[in-house]
Formats: sequence, C-alpha cells, structure tokens
Amino acid sequence: MKKQKRPVGKAFMILSIVFFYLPIFFVVLFSFNSSKSLTTFKGFSLQWYEKLFKNRDMMESLWTTVLVAVIATVVSTVTGTMAAIGLSRSRKLVRDLTLQVNDFPVMNPEIVTAIGLMLFFITFGIERGLLTMILAHIAFCIPYVILSVMPKIRTMDPNLIDAAMDLGCTPWQALTKVVVPDIKPGIVSGALIAFTMSFDDFVISYFVTGPGVKNLSIMVYSMTKRINPTVNAVSTLVVVFITIALVIINIVPVIRERKLKKEKERTKI
Amino acid sequence: MEEKRPLIQFKNIVMVFEDGQVVLKGIDLDIMENEFVTLLGPSGCGKTTLLRILGGFLEPSEGKVIFDGEDMAKLPPYKRELNTVFQKYALFPHLNVYENIAFGLRIKKMSNDVIEQKVMKMLKLIGLEGYEKKNVTLMSGGQQQRVAIARALVNEPKVLLLDEPLGALDLKLRKEMQYELKRIQQEVGITFIYVTHDQEEALTMSDKIVVMKEGLIQQIGTPADIYNEPVNRYVADFIGESNILPGKMIKDGLVEIDDVQFPCLDEGFAPNEPVDVMFRPEDLEIVSPEKGTITGTVESVIFKGMHYEVIVETVPGTTVTVRMRVIKNNEVTSEDGKEKISANDFFVDIEDVPDLDDKEIIARADAQAWDPQSDDFLSIAKVEYDLKQEEGEYPVTFTTASGLSIQKTISVVDQKYVKNPRANEGIMAFNFFKTVDEITESQALDTDLKTWANAQAWKLSDENEKVEVYVDYDFDPENIGVGTYKVTFSTAGRELKVRTAARQEEDEVIGTEVGLSIAPKEIHVMHKM
Amino acid sequence: MLLLPVLLLVFYAFTNSGNGLISFRFTLQHFAKFFTDPDFVSVLGRSLGIAVKTTILCVLLGYPVAYFIAGSDERTRNVLVLAITLPMWINMLVRTYAWIGILSKGGFVSKIIGLFGKPDVEILYTEAAVLIGMVYNFLPFMILEINTSLCKMDRALLEAGNDLGANAVQRFTRITLPLSIPGVVSGISLVFLPAVSSFFIPKLLGGAQYFLIGNIIENQFITVGEWNFGSAISMIMALIMMGSMYLVRRFEKVVSGGKEDRR
Repeated sequence: MKKQKRPVGKAFMILSIVFFYLPIFFVVLFSFNSSKSLTTFKGFSLQWYEKLFKNRDMMESLWTTVLVAVIATVVSTVTGTMAAIGLSRSRKLVRDLTLQVNDFPVMNPEIVTAIGLMLFFITFGIERGLLTMILAHIAFCIPYVILSVMPKIRTMDPNLIDAAMDLGCTPWQALTKVVVPDIKPGIVSGALIAFTMSFDDFVISYFVTGPGVKNLSIMVYSMTKRINPTVNAVSTLVVVFITIALVIINIVPVIRERKLKKEKERTKI
Repeated sequence: MEEKRPLIQFKNIVMVFEDGQVVLKGIDLDIMENEFVTLLGPSGCGKTTLLRILGGFLEPSEGKVIFDGEDMAKLPPYKRELNTVFQKYALFPHLNVYENIAFGLRIKKMSNDVIEQKVMKMLKLIGLEGYEKKNVTLMSGGQQQRVAIARALVNEPKVLLLDEPLGALDLKLRKEMQYELKRIQQEVGITFIYVTHDQEEALTMSDKIVVMKEGLIQQIGTPADIYNEPVNRYVADFIGESNILPGKMIKDGLVEIDDVQFPCLDEGFAPNEPVDVMFRPEDLEIVSPEKGTITGTVESVIFKGMHYEVIVETVPGTTVTVRMRVIKNNEVTSEDGKEKISANDFFVDIEDVPDLDDKEIIARADAQAWDPQSDDFLSIAKVEYDLKQEEGEYPVTFTTASGLSIQKTISVVDQKYVKNPRANEGIMAFNFFKTVDEITESQALDTDLKTWANAQAWKLSDENEKVEVYVDYDFDPENIGVGTYKVTFSTAGRELKVRTAARQEEDEVIGTEVGLSIAPKEIHVMHKM
Repeated sequence: MLLLPVLLLVFYAFTNSGNGLISFRFTLQHFAKFFTDPDFVSVLGRSLGIAVKTTILCVLLGYPVAYFIAGSDERTRNVLVLAITLPMWINMLVRTYAWIGILSKGGFVSKIIGLFGKPDVEILYTEAAVLIGMVYNFLPFMILEINTSLCKMDRALLEAGNDLGANAVQRFTRITLPLSIPGVVSGISLVFLPAVSSFFIPKLLGGAQYFLIGNIIENQFITVGEWNFGSAISMIMALIMMGSMYLVRRFEKVVSGGKEDRR
C-alpha cells in the first residue's frame, strides 16, 4: 500500500488506544492511592496491597482462580486435542455434526451456557462448589481447544502419518512422535486460550459456583457494591502478571524467528 | 548380470473406493529384484493407488499382493520391508535433517552410534554432508527431496516406492535428479518402483515401464519396446511425439492410409482390418515430390532448438465459401434522438428453426439498443416473429422498452454442407449481413466471422466430434466498404509432423510441395482400441 | 456434555417447578407471563436497543481503526494488533470496574468536561455509562474481525481496480467495502450477542435501577430461584439472537453474493 500520512486514521487509532488503556492506567494508579477515593489521587501508599494480603477471602479467591484455570486447561487441552485428532480421522458426517455442536457454546451467549450448566448440575444432584466450577470450565474450554487445534490438523500434510508408519511407527507412535509435535503450535495456543478463558471467566463461574467458593471475578463483582480500592490492588497484580506472561509469549517467537532467519541466511551460503 | 526373480506379484488387484468409484480394474504385474519399474499414466489412472496398496496404506477390494513369496494382505505398513518417498516429501517439519533421516532407526531402537554411522553414510550418498543440523522446512525442493530419499533408504528396504517425487521441482532440477535417482538405485542395488505422469522421466530412468489407463494396464515393456512398439494409439500418443492415422491392413506387410499403400513389416492382422498406424516424426524423411511415397504441402516450420518441426499437409482440408454482404448502416434512431437500435438480417438452417428462441434470435441478428449520449446499452424488451419450419423469408421485429423498434428478415434455408469422405470431414457455413462499423470495430475478426457465419466442421464418422475451422478472406478489414465479399472457411486436412535436423528456411519452404518417405520398418501398425 | 445443558434449559422452560425429572408438567405459562408483563417486555426492548446502539458504534469506530491497521506495513500491523489484544487478556470485570472511578462524580471524565466550563456532571449510573462500558468491552472484537478480513484481501485487486480506472473512492466502495463485509458481519455477531445478554456491565455502570434482560435472568436464578421462568426468558433471548443473526447473515449474502450483473 502507498505510504500515505492518513491523519484521520491515525487520530482514530490513537484515540482508541487511549480508550483501551485509560482504565488500566487508572486501576494501577489508584491502587497506590493513599485515600479511599476512586476519583482523586491523594498520595502514594501501599496500604491497599497490605489490606489485600491480609484479606483471606481475597487470597483464597486468587488461589481458586489459578487452581481452576490450571486444572481446566490441562484437562481440556488433552481431551480437546484427542477429540480433534479423532474427528479428523472420522467420517465427514460425524465430523460436521460434532463441529456444529462444538460451535454451540462458542456462538451461544455465555449466560445461556452458564444457565444450561447450572441446570445440568442441579438436575443430576451434583452439589455446587469447586468441583462444579472446574467441570463447567473444562466443558466450555474444550470447544476452544478443538477450534484452535483443528485448523493445524487440516493443514498438516496427510502423508506425514503415512510416512511415519512407513518408517516403522505403530499408529500410537505415529501420533506421539509425529502428529502431536507437528500440531504443537495449535495445542499451545489452544491451551493459552483455555487458560485465559478460564482465568477471566465470570458469567459461567457465577452461576455454577456454590456458597463460599469464589474466583477473582466473582470477588470483584461482589465488592463493587461498596467502593473498595483493594480491587484496584488485586487488579494491578493481575495486570502485572498477565503483562509478564504476554511479553514472554510474544517475545519468545520473535527470538526464535530471528534465529530461523539467521539460519536461513547461512543455508543460502 | 545376476539372476532375477519376481520379488513382488500383484494378482488381479481390484480397488473400489467408498463412493463406488472403481480405480483399479484387475491389475496383474510382476516386479523383479533390482529393477527400476515405472508406473506411468495420467492423473486418475490408478498408479498412485496401486503404490499405496503396496505400501499398505490401502487395502485392495480384491486380489493379492505377494511379496517375496508371502501374501502381505494383513501386514500393516510398519511391518513391511519397503519404504516410500512421498509426493511433496512429507518430511517431519519439527525435526532437523539428521533426525528426519534417523527417524526409522530410532523407532527400531538402534543404538546411537549405529544410527550416526548409518545416517552419515546416507548423507554422503545423497551429497548433503554438513547439512545434518539444518531445518528441513528451510531447504530447497531438491534438498528436501534428497533427505526424503535418504530417510527411506537408511532403513535398508528391499523396495523403495517413489510417488511422483520430482513433481514439485523445476525442469532443470528434475533432469538432474533423474540421473541422481538412477545412480542411487544402481549404487544401492534394490528395486525402485516409481510413479509418474511424465513420459520423459519414465523413458530416462526405467528398466521397465508399466503404462496405465483408467485402472487397467495398457502395456508393460522396456522403454525401447514401449517407444517403438506401442500396443495401441493411447500408448503411442502418451509416449513421445507421434503421427497416428487411421488405416486399413490390406494383407500382411501392406497397410493403406488415405488411399496410399505402404509396405510394412507388421503382420498377423485380419485382411482389411481397420487399424491405427503410427509414424514417429523423426522417421519421416522429406524428399522431392517424385521420390516420396506421399506428397503434401508444407504448412509451417517451427525451430525447436535441436531440430526443426515441419508440418506437411498430405490431404487438403475441406472448404466452404460464403458471401458476406456489407451494408452501410442498420440503425434506427428514436424521434427524440435519445435511443438507437440496430439488427441484421440473417440466415438459418431449416433444421435449426425449432431451436430458435428470443435470446438466440437476438444473438444471431446481433440486435442491440443503446443511448447515443451515454453509450450505455439498453435492453431489448420484445422480440416478435412468426417462424415456420419451411424455406422462406420471415419478418422479425425487435422493440425496446420505450417502443423504438426495428424490423429485419430471417431467411430459412436448407443449407447444404460440404462433405469430404477422404478426410472424414464435413463443413458448413451461412451467408450473412454486417455493417461496415461492425467489421472495422471487431477485436478478433476471425472468431467473429466464424460466429457470424455460424461456421462449423465435424467428423463424418461422429457428428459430435468437432473439427477446428480456419478462416480466410481477401478484403482489408480496416478499410472495408459497402459490397459483397467472399469468406472461406476450411479445415486443416491431414497434417503430418516431421522432425528434421536439416536447416529449413521458413520463407522458402512454406507452401512448397514436398514428398515424404518412410522405411517399412519404421511403420508401426496397431489394433484399434 | 455440550448439548445436554442446552436441552435441559429448553426442558425447564416448558415445565413447571417440581425441581426434578420425575414430577413435571408441560406448560407455556412462563412465556405468557413474560409477554403479558409490560415491564419485562420494555426491558427486552431496552436490551435490544442498547445492543443495537453498541453494535452501530462499534462498526463506526472500529472500521476506520481496522482500516488504518490493515493499511500499515506488516511490523506496525503486528504491534497494533497486539496493542488491541493486550487489554482483552485482563479480566473483563476488572476493566469494567475501572470505569466506575473514571465516570463517577469528580472523576477523570467529569474533570475533562469541567475544563470546558460545564458543571460537574455524573455519567456513572446512566445509559451513557453502560454504552461506554459495552463499547469498551466489545470494540476490540470488531476491530480484529474487520482487520482480518481486510488483510486477507488480495492487494492485487486494488491494483486491478486502479488499472481498470476506479478512483480511490470507487476502489473503496466497490472493492474494499464489499470484500470486508464478511468481517463486519462476524464482528457484529461478536458484539451484538454478548451485548444483548450482558448483565454485569449494566449492573456495574448502570446502577441498581438500570435493568437489562441479562439482569432479569440473573435475578430469577440467583435471587428469586425461579428456574423455570428464568429458563424461559433465556430461551426467548437465545431465539431472538439466533433470529437476528440469521437476518444479518441473509443481509451479508445479499450484499456480497448478489452483485449486480448487467446484461
């Protein structure tokens, strides 16, 4: 495309970036506020962090969030990957039908999925609590894993499996030594999506949880009725944690790419 | 030469896919030890399917595969003593060159030093020493190809299967790899089964070629056999360049083509049996007209680098000449000057009358309406006519939405067509009317003339087999005036391709009369398919 | 595991309490209750209204941004896409919560407005606040979807358009816009659907009086415990969404499939 200045586009761009980052900036800023106000910054203090670490409910919810996210990610990644591989080798009709059903929770509004799951647990008399939350998270993460693994399987050279078997692999060895390593990027991104979906989730957790079991989102929701800057503090921690994670995730491929480029240049010679 | 025995035997292999498609219709084939066998045929002929059955990736619907005396029907791919080089290589993208080659050995749990020894030997064989740490996805096609071969050969299979392995390479590299593959095969001394659709590749490398068509084997033989003695016109056409003519076997050693009799060496045909006769272009010799067995006119000469390709017409084409009446103007303008409409009179064959509908009539009459200011086309709202399936002239009226109309005449005639039994061709065309503007503005006049005259040619033996029509005229299309002009449509006739190393000056030879001679041993007679 | 919950929801919507599979009665009373109560119907109308407004705003704001991103060189594009994606990784509730401070009396926004001489206004707990919250949460989806469809577009098409005599405006309206419609449509579905059903954004930014359909569903399940009625409302909502998405898809087909052809 031509190198135009495009001032209007640029203005829109800058405004939207400001719009997206403004709230985050304020959260971080006011977590260090010495007063309880959410509107005026009185001075620097760490009192809200102190309160946060003393608040047992808050710390517990943080722990619940991480625990649920880790379990849901591991289980949904494994089952989702298996399901995607299985689907790719099954008949077209079965595959299309399953993918249609798979799209259900992705396309449906979250609240409908949430209520559905809640009714499911009630109907089968499963007591709501940590277990139901984990089960629900696994259920809604699997479709995302399948959706992210499926395209990788589709673009995989179908001869790779044949080649592996040709070279003496049993079907199981072909799966573990060739298919899984080859679709690893899809599995990793599926796991990442699953983790963030679970970590971020409010609506589904809110409906399927039982008394006393809260994740971070539910905690924030219950505290908004009164102004409480510890929310800012915990949010800031989340922001810092996520930023570090994202920086690592985004920089590692860049470094790897540089390496590849270097190698490519060497190969040319 | 060591003694050869069948290593692989295909016995009546039939393959029917899930959708009911029959891909292999009963294949019987023996493959010897240390042979380079090529399965040759166009895509869809079943060659890859046969290879995949041998590799164990498909199970045949019927028939047996015997390997080294044992039926291998129930043997899964990983237990077969053969390896495959796949289309587009199928290298493992997550492994480097070394690990790709070592893959099979690692599966067999060989010790690291044995693996290293074997992999290094392979790298040397394929000429990629020092590349072991390279990322395979970053290598060139030719290099990936070599790695794929090494990855298969390192397992020391008895047979190497190659599925169009050179298909993705460019021409020069493909030639290099052909020699390379042949060298590797001779060095390792095992059976190669090679699948390709490229006849040149097959001729260059193979000990034995298997020509396939639609799930059946057409011919099995050495490259020389297949080239010189193809069993039918399909094989002849597929391998190398050839002239294939319909003929009649008068008796043993004498064949008749286009009313000319040729002595030949072929025998064993029924008297007067219709046959196909093949001449290779390089076997025809251009001589003076008196000395030739047949005579013809030089149509064209193309320089092909190593030789000249000369096209000689031995039987003239069939021609038909029609009259084109050119008129000044055929437009009608509306009273307010905002619309114009135009159309032409036209002829139609009595047999085609039932096929005429509004659309067809608008097209044949080339009826158009437009706005002279903006040049935008307007639609023709109404076509009125009353046609009978009898010879005569019928009026037709074209009208636009706003009521501007033009009247023209459709002449229904019983058009005679020109028959040429010797060349097995018929041709037909109609007189037509055009305006000066239509001719000067035509972007592709030859094509337009064919459309306007509705010119067509076909085989007398099969009306649906169309024959290409050529156009000739002697007016100057840029400066044409009102009047009547002749337009001639013709077919190419019988053309023979001759390959000669002798220098041919295009300007001098085109249009001259030459003789063609051919030695009896170079004539090859085949049964009709 | 995926299908059963949805089926259960439908089952509950058509039956009467009983709370079990053994004792149930088929009924349409929940649907009747919903549609005969003017309060519920007006809440439904308000939900759809605010979702439509959110969607329109997202298209109007998102398209220029996406167009700008798609027009940048590849490196800038990657950075910008990352910049838009980053905030989405942070908990939605946390980000929405932050707006409370910004929008409340004496907050950042009212101070900015104050600079122009206007008195201290409070935006928090108005419809405007809810709208800002929704646009904030859903705009990134719209931008990313449109950007993806714009980037997929073959640049040669524009050159071909140029070659065939189309000027910049014509190139945009005749080539770029029609080809980006699929992106806009999938963007709309990613904005409209969650906007209709959202319940914590109105609760956080709209205050206790500002009710949307999602809040009613929440109430029925969490506070009142009327699961059957709640299921019925969810079903109504889901059906309306499916219906509207069907209409949008049809519209997409008409726009991008039925190109005028002159003959």
